[in-house]
Amino acid sequence: MLQAFVSEGIKPFVDGVVTFGAGHFYISQSDKGGLVFGGDIDGYNSYAQRGNLPVVEDVLEGGMALMPRIGRVRLLRSWGGIMDMSMDGSPIIDRTPIDGLYFNGGWCYGGFKATPASGLCFAHLLARDEPHEVAKAYRLDRFRTGHMIDEKGMGNQPNLH
Amino acid sequence: MRIHCPYCGERGNDEFSYLGDASVVRPDASAPNAEDAFYAFAYERRNVAGPTQELWYHAAGCHAWLVVTRNTRTHEISDVKPAQDVALARQSPVSSAS
Repeated sequence: MLQAFVSEGIKPFVDGVVTFGAGHFYISQSDKGGLVFGGDIDGYNSYAQRGNLPVVEDVLEGGMALMPRIGRVRLLRSWGGIMDMSMDGSPIIDRTPIDGLYFNGGWCYGGFKATPASGLCFAHLLARDEPHEVAKAYRLDRFRTGHMIDEKGMGNQPNLH
Repeated sequence: MRIHCPYCGERGNDEFSYLGDASVVRPDASAPNAEDAFYAFAYERRNVAGPTQELWYHAAGCHAWLVVTRNTRTHEISDVKPAQDVALARQSPVSSAS
């Protein structure tokens, strides 16, 4: 579960997307003036399409650490969406054991940003039936063979990635 | 979401850390199918949409591992038991089942 937030509309303030890696916070501003921001995942299995308050607090603290001047802006709305977390935090782009069925998923919370590149790699796989050079490691059987792409070395718990 | 710890009472979920599915059991390493069994143990989960039993750890409280029955559609928690009790109950009557 990943929550996102929108504030009331304010004058132009952020003219790009700002990400704060150390505090886990990102923010941009919509054309209507609302600040759009989010941060960490809730970190437990959920189909409820809403998150819980501890992560709301965590995200807002990250925002205040990065941009204290947004502290008096009021929140307009928030929502939560399901994240397709994989066991090693990396995606899968591969054939499946079913002939003719291909899989592109497990993008965790990075899928939206990665869509152009993952689409190119997936199209390459579909067209040639062999993986694109940069997506070779995103195999479905990497968990079985022990070739996990565990970038942070956190192990096999989806909520740790 | 608040979890009723059997030792500490009802607490916010930020006091707990999450491990996941409580139904998986560590396989017998000497069994002939141990490789497949350990693969399933480490990586295969059912991702239940509905009531499910999960392991939560009361990290900012009594440090007990708990088996929490939680509905993943609604976040409703219907039952919390000490994981130790669940493990002992699982062991005693059917220890020769496998």
